[in-house]
Amino acid sequence: MPSVSKGIGLLVLAAAVLSFPALAPNPYILSAGIVVLNYAVLSTSWNFVGGFTGYISLGHGALAGLGGYGTALLVTRAGLPSFVALAVAALCVAALAVPIGLAALRVRGASFVIVSIALVLILLLVFQSWASVTGGSRGLVVPRPFPGLLRPEHHRVFYYLFAGLLALALLAWWVIDRSRFGLGLKAIREDEDKAESLGTPTFTYKLIVFVVSAGFTALAGGLYALWFGDLDPVFQFSILTGSYLVLMALLGGVRNLFGPLAGALIVGTALEYFKGQFGNTPLHLVATGILLGLVVMFMPDGVLPAITGRWQRLRKTPESSIREVTAAELRTERERAEAKP
Amino acid sequence: MPSGALLLQSVILGLLLGGLYALLAAGLTLYFGIMRVVMIAHSAFLILAAYLAWWSHSRFGVDPLLSMIVTVPLFFGAGVVLQRALLSRLRAITLTMMSVLLTFAVALIIEGLLGYAFTGTQRRVQLGYGSASFGLFGARIAVVKLIAFGLAVVALAALYLLMKKTTFGWALRATIQHRDAARLVGIDTEKVAGYGFGLGLATAAIGGTALSLDTTIYPSLHWHWIGPLMAIIVVGGLGSVPGAAAAAVLLGLIQSLLQIPLGTTWAQTIFYLALFATLAFRPQGFFGGRLAQRF
Repeated sequence: MPSVSKGIGLLVLAAAVLSFPALAPNPYILSAGIVVLNYAVLSTSWNFVGGFTGYISLGHGALAGLGGYGTALLVTRAGLPSFVALAVAALCVAALAVPIGLAALRVRGASFVIVSIALVLILLLVFQSWASVTGGSRGLVVPRPFPGLLRPEHHRVFYYLFAGLLALALLAWWVIDRSRFGLGLKAIREDEDKAESLGTPTFTYKLIVFVVSAGFTALAGGLYALWFGDLDPVFQFSILTGSYLVLMALLGGVRNLFGPLAGALIVGTALEYFKGQFGNTPLHLVATGILLGLVVMFMPDGVLPAITGRWQRLRKTPESSIREVTAAELRTERERAEAKP
Repeated sequence: MPSGALLLQSVILGLLLGGLYALLAAGLTLYFGIMRVVMIAHSAFLILAAYLAWWSHSRFGVDPLLSMIVTVPLFFGAGVVLQRALLSRLRAITLTMMSVLLTFAVALIIEGLLGYAFTGTQRRVQLGYGSASFGLFGARIAVVKLIAFGLAVVALAALYLLMKKTTFGWALRATIQHRDAARLVGIDTEKVAGYGFGLGLATAAIGGTALSLDTTIYPSLHWHWIGPLMAIIVVGGLGSVPGAAAAAVLLGLIQSLLQIPLGTTWAQTIFYLALFATLAFRPQGFFGGRLAQRF
């Protein structure tokens, strides 16, 4: 009865997420919950590219920053209503992702990573220097969408907005995962040459999924701007944010629908806790670096697959005949078989 | 229209800067050639070497250039360890992506430790000859910049001779060209790859020392270097050392000239523009060979 247990698990998860505002003892905890949810949305959005195609982007922090600044500028300069501005900004970022993707995805992985890092660096440069439009290092204040609300109420509303966006992103990922499009993307991840020779339009697929990912990332960034109300280029266009997203998704497991969410819960909670306890110290960087290194070296498939694997071994269920095996696993298996005699 | 002396000055400064870029890009190209690894931590090691040079000067009063006696072998060893103990253990099939993350993690650790050990305060080596300069047709060239350039040129020349004239260099180039074939003719490619990484990091040690002579350093400075350096290796064609050197000198020169009308901050964008233009119109780079086609 895997579908029933899955349904129950989903209900429990939804109930836990939705009841958190009622259980949170004070507004600070609630705002920390929003930050973690924001990470979950961003990391799930990242996973559209990272999980399906295996292309690792370190620049998604910048796409979120663009969404945030786009929303803020459309509200303050063009006078659009907050949520219209959010939608327009997300569309603009998605449109901008097309030329970026055209440049970054024509060749294989290495150039993509380089472009994603360059994106963060160039946007930081532009948004810091172009002070007449962006406010530069002084920051940019975003007017609140609900001026009448008190702070705890404001948090509560945005918590549910973020939860809704997370549900939307998860649903989109789930739908793609099941589609022919998703199969093509996963074929790219496993072996791009073979996928191409079998007729998958690899470049178009990669570009489409990159644009979708950019759109969701920009939505999350714009929503964050409306909630937080103050933008600073140093934090919006930070390579560190991008690396947090990668760390969360990898830790949770990129092949798994809920992997990035699980990773965001673990890493995001830890980040908020340590920020509260120790403030911002250089040791943050060290801890992030060590954790990322450990995950890459020892758990490249994430904790969720590790746990489910152990669980299945405990229950000793017979393995089904068809399972997802990566090309890397096949290779190690083959090598092991060759080494034996 | 800027005066002739100003133009000359910019051209000379651009060439001097380009020399340093060329040395550092050569290291990045080596890693990429050997293992298809984009080594994000290269510039973090560069800043680490600059800090070590500054620290040995302010603590023991030795000339920053002498710190290379320690840092070059140290970094060589670190490169060998990095390749043998970490990068070579990654799965071959996801190596390019995972190695980026791993070297990124190393860069974060170095930046964090530098910030912890020396704080975020900006540091600068105070040298007796630090402000010395001489005139050339109306342009003023600082002596330290010339020393830095000289270091880069000597190191690049040594690297070139090593690659072309020694048995080890042949083995290294064979490993880069075709790993399996190299193994067939009896080259221990694992060992050679490790030494190749050591060589790459040794260039970072030399570059960092040159950098410390005339630059104010702080822990997060490496982000300002990795962007331009990665742009250079893409423009030059991933894996091509001469291509990287040519792109480095050219882009350094353009950056220096653009600083006259645009100022230092906006002049930096030339690297990213060149990166995007290259990928959009000629993804294999302008000097790239066979390797660059597929990455």
